[in-house]
Amino acid sequence: MAGGAMPEQGGGGGKKKKKALDAVINVVPAIDLLSCLITFLLYTAVWTQISRLQVQQLGTGAPEPLAADLQQKALAVTLAVGERGMALSVGDASYDIPSLGRSPEGVVLQDLKSLDTRLKALKGEYPDQGSIIVTAEDTVPYGDLVHVIDACLGAGLMQVSVSGV
Amino acid sequence: MAIVQPGKRPSPRLQRSKVLGGKMVKGRKATNADLNVVPMVDMMTMLVIFLLQQFSSTGEVLYMQKDIKLPDARHGQMIEQAPTVAISADQVVVTGQKVADVADLDSDAGYLNIPALEERLREDKKRWDFIHQSDPNQKWDGIVNIQADQKVPFRIVKRVMYSCGVAGYFNLNFAALDIGSGAAAAQLPAP
Repeated sequence: MAGGAMPEQGGGGGKKKKKALDAVINVVPAIDLLSCLITFLLYTAVWTQISRLQVQQLGTGAPEPLAADLQQKALAVTLAVGERGMALSVGDASYDIPSLGRSPEGVVLQDLKSLDTRLKALKGEYPDQGSIIVTAEDTVPYGDLVHVIDACLGAGLMQVSVSGV
Repeated sequence: MAIVQPGKRPSPRLQRSKVLGGKMVKGRKATNADLNVVPMVDMMTMLVIFLLQQFSSTGEVLYMQKDIKLPDARHGQMIEQAPTVAISADQVVVTGQKVADVADLDSDAGYLNIPALEERLREDKKRWDFIHQSDPNQKWDGIVNIQADQKVPFRIVKRVMYSCGVAGYFNLNFAALDIGSGAAAAQLPAP
């Protein structure tokens, strides 16, 4: 029996006292600690995850590229974004990606899936190519520009330069 | 006959019973009530784990504003501390200070730069130069965060970009809502 395993208690009465086997853990400090942690984490929580798409702009104080970089960038890849769609120029070749029309609100819908496919094909053909120049018309919304840059980054063209038309 | 209180009056034999007698005896209730805190500790632990997953060591660099709805992006990187230019449909704000109205920028289309924005960014650059004047290893990276509403036309963004470039900020970070993790989860095949 469990009681038999307990050490005998002293005392002249000759009676054996049984110790309670249920240990009570004091959880109050744990609750205090958890309350402090929850307060701190709630105060410092960031609920909206905002990311950044790093681009460079051509001219206007940007550092001049090195000669080695220029040799790497022998293939000029330019993507022009406008109301009629997009035009991708790779060296001498040019590919048109027409827009999908307009939304009921009148916003131009760019064909981002075709762009993604085209950019991935380009990256497959030229694996060393890492730069692209994105030009946009004045009317192109910021949202479309970000989606196009995102597609470029997703295709592995990590050095994106942006300029106006 | 003695006057007794109304109620149950068990017989003496029943009162002596160890099994049933206790129920008949009116005793004092214990004043210390035990509260079961184990479910509360469980809940708090789950809450701490959830909040730890949400925790970001960089803190909130860009604050969401009511009049700026950011576009979403899948391949963005973690945002970093830099001067922030916020472009809403109405105004251009640099770290909380308004520098231009969008309507004014649309009307004077002849110039590309925004003088107030340039001035503000030059001040920031001067401050950075002063702080790092004794540290030649620290190179100027020229990073600026641009947080614009998704419907703002590129002609406004272009003018902001030009002003940033003239002031020495040539590395632009376009802010976007990160949907990378959600999109990745959506692309996974269903079990």
